[in-house]
Formats: sequence, C-alpha cells, structure tokens
Amino acid sequence: MSKAILEVTGLRKDFSQFLGLLAKLTGETRVIPAVDGVSFYLRENETVGLVGESGCGKTTIGRTVLRLTDPSSGRIVFDGRDITHLSRAELRPLRREMQMIFQDLDAGLNPAMRVRDILREALTVHERPGDAEIASRIRELLEQVNLKESKLANFPSELSGGEKRRVGIARVLAVRPRLIVADEPTSALDISIQAQVVNLMRDLQKHLGLTYLFISHDLPVVELVSDKVAVMYLGRIVEMGLADDIAHRPRHPYTKILWASLADKQSMEASRRVHDVPVEAERRAWGAYDFEQPSGGCRFAPRCPLYQQQGRPAVCTDPASEPALRDAGKGHVVACHFA
Amino acid sequence: MRRYVQTPGPIGEFSTLPLLQRAETRDLLYVGYGLLIVALVLASYLMGAFGWLPHDPRAMNVGLINTAPFTSGHLLGTDFLGRDLQSRLILGIQAYFLPGLLAIAISVVGGSVLGVLAGYGGGWVSAVVTYFDNLLDSFPRLVLILLVIAAFKADIYAIMIVLGITSMPATANLVAGKISFLRQKNFIEAAHALGLPAHTVILKHILWLNCRALLVIQATLGMAEAILVETSLSYLGFGVQEPTPSWGNMVQAGANYLLQGNFWPSTAPALSILATILGFQLLGDGLNNMLEGKRRRG
Amino acid sequence: MSETLLAIENLRTYFYSRAKRAFIRSVDGVSLSVERGKTLGVVGESGSGKTVTALSAAGLVTASPGVIGGTITLRSNGSARNVLDGLERYVHAEEEDGRVVAVEKDERGWRRRSEALLAGVRGKEIAMIFQNPRAALNPYSTVGSQLVETIRLHTSFRGRGEAKERAIHWLERVRIDSPRLRFDNFPFGMSGGMCQRAMLAMALSAEPSLLIADEPTTGLDATIQSRIVDLLAELKAETAVATILISHDISVIQRLSDRVAVMYGGTVVETGRVDEVLAPEVEARHPYTAALLASIPNAETIRRKSYLQAIEGDVLDTIDVPRGCRFYGRCNRVKEAIRERCAGLEPPLAEVTPGHKIRCWLYPASANTAQKP
Repeated sequence: MSKAILEVTGLRKDFSQFLGLLAKLTGETRVIPAVDGVSFYLRENETVGLVGESGCGKTTIGRTVLRLTDPSSGRIVFDGRDITHLSRAELRPLRREMQMIFQDLDAGLNPAMRVRDILREALTVHERPGDAEIASRIRELLEQVNLKESKLANFPSELSGGEKRRVGIARVLAVRPRLIVADEPTSALDISIQAQVVNLMRDLQKHLGLTYLFISHDLPVVELVSDKVAVMYLGRIVEMGLADDIAHRPRHPYTKILWASLADKQSMEASRRVHDVPVEAERRAWGAYDFEQPSGGCRFAPRCPLYQQQGRPAVCTDPASEPALRDAGKGHVVACHFA
Repeated sequence: MRRYVQTPGPIGEFSTLPLLQRAETRDLLYVGYGLLIVALVLASYLMGAFGWLPHDPRAMNVGLINTAPFTSGHLLGTDFLGRDLQSRLILGIQAYFLPGLLAIAISVVGGSVLGVLAGYGGGWVSAVVTYFDNLLDSFPRLVLILLVIAAFKADIYAIMIVLGITSMPATANLVAGKISFLRQKNFIEAAHALGLPAHTVILKHILWLNCRALLVIQATLGMAEAILVETSLSYLGFGVQEPTPSWGNMVQAGANYLLQGNFWPSTAPALSILATILGFQLLGDGLNNMLEGKRRRG
Repeated sequence: MSETLLAIENLRTYFYSRAKRAFIRSVDGVSLSVERGKTLGVVGESGSGKTVTALSAAGLVTASPGVIGGTITLRSNGSARNVLDGLERYVHAEEEDGRVVAVEKDERGWRRRSEALLAGVRGKEIAMIFQNPRAALNPYSTVGSQLVETIRLHTSFRGRGEAKERAIHWLERVRIDSPRLRFDNFPFGMSGGMCQRAMLAMALSAEPSLLIADEPTTGLDATIQSRIVDLLAELKAETAVATILISHDISVIQRLSDRVAVMYGGTVVETGRVDEVLAPEVEARHPYTAALLASIPNAETIRRKSYLQAIEGDVLDTIDVPRGCRFYGRCNRVKEAIRERCAGLEPPLAEVTPGHKIRCWLYPASANTAQKP
C-alpha cells in the first residue's frame, strides 16, 4: 500500500469578477467558484484521471495543486508536507518534485531558444552539473522521450506537434519530478501521435515511478491510463472511483451522460440504449448553472434526467442539501441524492 | 504572373539559413543605408568631439561667401559668411547626438520597466502602471516641451528628458503586449513551474530573448524622433545659438538668403536632416521586417 | 441510382514556402466524388490535405500559388460544369522527373475567372461550415441578422419579414432553444455548440445541394459533440443534402458517412463504403487505415490495459515528399518482395473490390481493374 504523495482537502479557488471601479469602491464583489470544495488524494506511482467538460474547473485544480495559483481555501499536502501557504521562495526547491505538462504545446518553449538550450536551462535550474554531465543527461533525456539528436539544434517553430510535446516532457523530466500534472497532454495532437505520447507517458511512469494527475476530456484515453477517475461538474467532484467502475458502472447521472456520449457518436441505437436523457433535457442543456443566481441545491439538477424522471423532487433544488460525496462501496463515491 | 521555383536538392531547415539570406532585398537595402548613416553620424560625432575638422567652423572668409561644393578647397562649399559648411555640418551633430542618446536611454529603459510592471506584475500593480502609462501618453509633447523651455530656458538635455519620458508608453505597450502573448502561451507559467526565479524570467526570457528586437527598433526610431525635435527647436531659435552650428539654426540662418538665389547654405543642412532621419527610420523599419517577420514566413 | 453531384479529379493545390524555397504539396492529385443525398467522410490527420481539398472545391484558397491543376465538376440543374474550367490557361507547371519544380500562375486573372465561375454557386449550391464556430461567425452581428442575410441572398424569401420567419424556422430545426430570443444573440453570448448549430442553420438555409462540413465536432465538449452528430444525422435524413464530412474523429465518420476516403500526405490512400473501410473485421485495407484504427483505444485495449499500437515516425510533412509510396517510411506491412517498388514508385489507386480502392503495392492493380490515380 503506497502512501499518498498528494492529498487535497476542501480545495476552493474563487475568481472574482471585475464589476467596475465603482463597485470596487463600494465593496461589491462577485465571486465565481471555479473549484468549490474538492478533495482527493494520489498515491505514489498511481494515475488519477480528472475528467469533465469545459468550465468544470479541472485545469484550475491542476494549477492550484502545484501552487501556480493560490487556493482561496483548503489544504494541499505534498509528500506529507503542507504546502498550502508556503511562500514562493520556500516553494522553489519543491518545484522540482512536482511538475506540469501544459495543454499548450508551446508552453515553456521559448521561441528564441534552441531545443538544446531549453534542455540545458532546465537541467541547471536546481543543480549545477558540469558540461560533460549536462551533455550526457541531455542524451539520456532524448532517449527517454524518443527524440532524435538532430532536433537539438532546432527552434520550437521547426518542430512538429508531437516533437514539441516530447521536448516539453523532456524539459519537465530534467528536474526529476515525482508528481506530474498532465493537462490535456494529447489534445492538440494528431491521432497517431496521441498514441505515441500516451505510450511514452506510460513507459515513463513505469521506469521512473512517476505519479500522474491526468486531466483530459478524452474519455477512452483516460480510462486506459488511469487507475482511478474523478468526474467533475461545475467545480465539484460528482463521482470518483476505479476507472473501470466509472466507465462501466457509473452511478451519477452526469457520468452516465458523459460516457454515453461516446456511444452516441457511434450509433443512434447505442445512444438510445445507454442514454436515458429525454429530449427536453437536451434543450435545457445550455442553461448551465448560473453563478449569478445560484439556484441552490444540486448543480446538475437543471440538466439531470434523474431529476425529471423522479418528478422533480424538492430535495434536488433545496439549497440546504447540496449532495455530498457518499460512499457507494469499494472506495467509489458519488454525490447524488438518488444514486 | 508570379513564378515559384523549388530549389533543387534537399530542402533545408529555415534556421540554418543565415539572417542575410533570409531577408528580403528591400529590407537589406534599408538596413544597409541606415547603418551607413549611423556610421557617418558616429564618426562625425567623434570628429566633432575631438576637433578633427577640415576647417575651423567659425573662420569667416568674406571673400568666399556662398560658394558651391567642390570649389575653392571646401568640400561642401561655404555659407553666407564664408564658413566651411562641411565642418559646420559635422559639428552640428554634437547638438543632437548625446541628447538623443539620453532620450532613447530613458525611453527604452523606462519603457521596459513600465512594460514589465504592467504585463508581469499582477493585479493592482498592473492596473496602476497602465493608468500611469495612459496618463503619460496623453500629454501633448509639444506643449510640454514649450513649458520646459519656458521654465528651464531651452536646455536641450531637459527637453530630451521630456522626450524620453513621453516616449516610454510606446515601448511599454509593446513590451506588455509581448508579455501578454507569452503569458497566453503559458510560457511564463511554465518557466515558474520549472522553478526559474522571477528575475531570470524577466531579464533573460522576456527582455533579452523576446524583446531585444523591438527594443532596438524603438531605439532607432527614438533617435530619429530626437533629431527631429532638436532640429525643429533650434530652427525656431531655441536650443543651440549662433555662431555654434546646429542643423536647425543653419537652416534658419541660411533661409534669409534663399530669396537671393543662394539656396545652398540652407539646403545643405536641410538635406542632412532629411537623410539622417530617413536613415534611422529605415534602419528601424528594415530591422523590424527582418527580425520580427522571420517567424511569420515559411 | 444516385447521380454524382460533385466530382473532383486529380486536384493539385500547392503553396509555396519562401523560407524553405520549396512547394508545400497540400493536395497532390486527389480524386473524390460525392453522390446526391449521400455523405462522403474524409478522414485524415494534419497535413493530409483534407481541409485544403474542401477549400479548393469551394474556391476559398487564396494563398499562392493555390490550385494548379485538376477538374472539379459540379452537377446542378441538370447541367454539369467544371469549377476549374480554363485553369490551364493561367497556370504553367514545369515538371522534372515526374515532380513539379516550378509553377507560373497568373493569380489575378485566375481569381477573376474563378469568381465568375463560382458566382451563384458558393453559398447557394455549395455551403460550408468550419471548425471553431465562434470564430467563423461575425462577432459584431447578431446570429439572426447573419441568417437573414444568407436567406435573402440565396433563397426566394427576399422580404425582411418572411426572411426572419424563415430564419427562426431554421433555428428551430437545428434545435436551438428559444429561437426567437436567440435570434438577437451575439455569437459571444452563445456556447460553442450553439454557435455550431447556428452556423449549420446558416449553411442549410440557403438550401444547398452540397454541404462541406470541416471538423464540425472538434473542439466541442463530449456531450455537445454527440448532440451535433445526432443533429447532422437527422438533417441528413430530412433534407437529403449531399455532404462532405471532414474529420479526424473516426466514430463521427462511421456514424454519418455512406462512403469514406482516407487521406494521407496529400493523396487519397483508400476509398470505399464505410463498412468496407472502417469496420473492424475487414481484411483488405491500406496499412495506414489499419494503423490509424489500431492506435485508438477500443474496448479490448482498455480492458487489457495494453499499449496502443502507435504508428512510428511523424505525419508526413508535404514539403519533403518522398519518392515512392508516401507511407513507406512508417508502414509496418512492407514485404521484402515489394520493398523496392514501395520505396521507388508511388502506387496507383487500384480497385480491390468494386467500389473499394486502395493505393498500396500490396494490392496491385490487375490489368482490367486498374484506375488512373
């Protein structure tokens, strides 16, 4: 039983909307909770997948967990150490242990630096190796990410998408991290290249003992690489459990819709079979949670087929009883009154 | 009818082509001319500073007034008092060279600092700096200069300080724009995530690697502007006074003789002003195309 | 018997890279056809030329040199016309060793001619929707007014009042809720999925005979993607509009297409009925198609948590096009007997079974079924 390398409790990240100078003077604020009370943990050498649609807060969680932005409240414990309130200076040495792969392929690749210089800089941030050691470590990194040596002299603008992603991964590996938050690592890539990157990441995990927080909207890939999966909706985790359970035995209505949409694309019959969303709910699908006038209670109610089927029970929209994550057996948790 | 030809043989990588080959001929011409002007200005400044002039710029020779170039041993002729034009033109550079450098130093350094603060510092720092920036930008430069003249009696250095300060917003905006572009690409965040300290990110990554082209261009254009301001002011009678030559006051003094048909004493300095300002502007333009355009092609 | 609505023959669209002094051979001899009322799915990765092919068909290629050869025949109102008619007069291409090395093109002249040929066709008979719907809509104009503009321009509903009613009818048909309210919405106030529906409404309101949909579901959320796919399926059944559906998402192609064309490196490498090309148990298949399907996680791979079968190497960049088969460098089914041919000579598109063509030396053309590429 490996220990938890990352533990997040009650994480909250608010973004305040700028209402104008006058409002600022009168103290009026509008706060949008992008992440609203999220708790989970990662064990060493494990992959936890984080899925959800745009706006659910999964990217924000990734950045907050690494302290790239500061949480509004909650606790982040990395390797037994509470890092929630550490200053920038105290965080710097810890940075090497927890890294991020950004969604943008160009992130971290200065367009004016050659690949060789990018890697050399990464290697010299926290250590001071000699020239010979730098050279050998660069070669090692290239081998690890399967990149040709000839690419060292290139600028990022001359690299293909897959190559850029690999350089980005090499740069991150240079500091020898233990935890990697991967934010949509395969999104901007071609399908055949996606497969290469996914294989690469799994290989690296096996050889280097890495822990991944795998944030993605590509459900099949998440199911493939993750041990556990957490499903997010509008800032909260609505369901979490083993990858297989989440994919094949989902309990929360949103999770069901999410996985059914995969089948949808394949055939109408499959969709009608798995998917029990009535047509009108689809119309209201656009009326997502309005943070300006919170309707109270379960956030998914406006779109929820279960809500419709059960005859719109009051408990779902009761502000006092927002569903909390309850244990459904074997570590599988769901936040729903009826699941 | 456009013609496109593929070069035979293996297709090379863009970055392996040297800068000169990648650039368009037009830009090479601009930059070439600009560099020539810069060289002449620099050389002339040094000559003037050390007094290595072909003739004494104050020596009047009543017998040789208003001569044309290449006559009577004066390369560029003489003015209405028989003074050697070439020496006076060379000496005239003194009037704007150092002040101009002061102006661009303030503009570039001050602008970079403002730009970094506006783009990099978050929250209220950025807001305050942007307000300050816009404030500076809205000052009418000419009015300010006249105010300074009224207060400090046409001290060219004071005027150049004003010029520098009022040019800061332009640079600041460019730098802040670059930063917001880099930020959008998660670039700055990624650098922090790796553990790079803030000063490295700002100095090395932002300013040196990404902004140096635009800062150089701002400097050349700033110099063109400074020359324009100085010559205009001395033409109007502020700034350097007779008998010390400045291109502006040479144009002014020589203008009296235009109606008599002696156009050279005022045309020569006027052409110099034109050629020099054009040189700096083209240098800036050409460099801009060559350095910034490189990534858009191909 | 469906008639061919659009036939693209041997289309070549090149661009020129000044930095590398070389041609970008985006579309290098592509032949496709769509039948009335049917959907042709075009599958490919970046650089395959699928988008540029669509843009060429709609006359939207503006970069230089652009379209340099081929014919695009559109059948409308009983008559057939070539949208690239007269191109040879404006283009002169020099070849060396079977490869184009220089192109001279009177671009301005061709553009004038092309506009004349496409007048009344673009928007009216051929409609197009693009990826990233919010970017394709005018941000300064309401959705309703953009729709009305299309309707008044291309249909018989010229009056403002009747055009508006028609617009609202179309908004309803694409299942946008509260169509009367949404009529006055600006694109930034609408979600990605809604913008995509609005764009679909704009395209279809002109009642075109051909709809070109370029990556209509990419970039949208998973649940919204399935909604759009449902919508496209419904509209296909209702309006009988012929569609060219371009996507890299194989499941979308499978659901919506009748026929499929797989593109790689600027050429079509396989074409046939969707069940012939994309179904799992087919034996005769282009190695690229097979490898592409194998690199997507399916139920089996996920269950066994096995590694994906990734294709080696990088997607072909169409600047440095190799001699011989374009997929040779990455192919895992090369046999020693044909290796030399694969490396040196590009295979033609050969008919393996009626209607199913493959461009691969593993399935060489026999004397009587060979087709010109």
